[in-house]
Amino acid sequence: MIYLDSAATTFQKPDTVERAVSEALRTMSSPGRGGYACAMRAAEKLYECRERAAALFNVSDVERVAVTFNATHGLNIAIRSLVRPGDRVVISGYEHNSVLRPLHAVGADITVADSPVFDYEAAILAFDRLIERNTRCVVINHVSNVFGFELPVYEVSELCRARGVPLIVDASQSAGVLKVDAGELGADFIAMPGHKGLYGPQGTGLLIASDKAAPILYGGSGSDSRNPDMPAYLPDKLEAGTHNMPGVAGLCAGMGFVQSKTPERIAAHETALARSMAEELSKLRGVHVFSAPGFVHQTGVLSFELDAMSSEEAGEKLGEMGFAVRAGLHCSPLAHRSVGTIKRGTVRASVSAFNSKTEIAAFAEAVERIARGV
Amino acid sequence: MESYYLTCRSLTYAQKVSRVLTAARIRNMIVRTPQSMSREGCGYAIRVSPQELTASLAALSAASLPPKRVYLMGKGGFTEEVAF
Repeated sequence: MIYLDSAATTFQKPDTVERAVSEALRTMSSPGRGGYACAMRAAEKLYECRERAAALFNVSDVERVAVTFNATHGLNIAIRSLVRPGDRVVISGYEHNSVLRPLHAVGADITVADSPVFDYEAAILAFDRLIERNTRCVVINHVSNVFGFELPVYEVSELCRARGVPLIVDASQSAGVLKVDAGELGADFIAMPGHKGLYGPQGTGLLIASDKAAPILYGGSGSDSRNPDMPAYLPDKLEAGTHNMPGVAGLCAGMGFVQSKTPERIAAHETALARSMAEELSKLRGVHVFSAPGFVHQTGVLSFELDAMSSEEAGEKLGEMGFAVRAGLHCSPLAHRSVGTIKRGTVRASVSAFNSKTEIAAFAEAVERIARGV
Repeated sequence: MESYYLTCRSLTYAQKVSRVLTAARIRNMIVRTPQSMSREGCGYAIRVSPQELTASLAALSAASLPPKRVYLMGKGGFTEEVAF
């Protein structure tokens, strides 16, 4: 199988991740629950994970790094912390359901900063027009999970800072690939999964949080235990219950892999592959590729449509041919509305550090055969 | 043997404190806070020797990482909060 669904989960993991998970299972119990050796070993690993994240994302204080189950968990915390019913929230036209659904559930007054795909400047202008002092917060996806479009998070963060509006960044597709600089962004929350560009196991995530964070889960934290409320400080107030230590250890190793490769080199590799894929698929009759002119502000995620069949059919055929891709709306109907693909969805191919040029060439050949009806 | 306990609000905070002390070459150990020292329930503290208390507090002050409280633990488990 050639795996091209890394925007969902990176399937190939570094060997160090597998070893770290196994070691955690064998040698670590639960951090914050005891002073004996295997509990303290777990505590050290958890701290190392926070330190590594703080270094990778320029977080000033390790206490601001909270461990979550995934990015959705982090986004739910962020939204529940800041937004009340009726609050006006400005979001990009490329948000995932992990943002839309929590906002809808809270009863937020959602305003979409619409802009054409791959038009970076238009996205800045759209936010500039809509962010006002009465805006409760802004939520922006760093990179669209459907189109790989990099949104102007740093420019939008400046707009937010100038107008005193809190910012939530969804770094699901950018963490480990693009610069995610918490110090520069000044966001109240940056949510990210551990299992995509950070190469950790599924069931892991990180939330870089400010003091505005409020718990959505209540339970034991190993601290302040006579208090019926959750502790008032980070990270304990966001980490009720037993930690996923094998996951944390794997995530820590995954971030070590990213640090050793560097996000810049990983991004260069992935973008080169996706660009090559876009160029090959664009030559095919009956295939419509969504890619940025010059591949500027686009990452290793590529969507395309085939005239001859639905995206699901194409995905199924590619699966039969040994290619793992995602088809449909990718849990992001808003992004498809923004681009006009809501009725048919798209086929999405997304790469990781482990994909090669040979695999991309084989994939392009497979799409060509499908497009020709062979 | 007497020792001092620097209580911390959380395990993560205790780990930050421990790293500052270790960097200052002060021997220290993260331990569970004895209930006799804890008004809030379970937690973690840093144990240091009496000879290193002053240097510990100075290092933590310089790092803006004050302990929550400081306790002296004497023979037989006797504990006493000390001002710092």
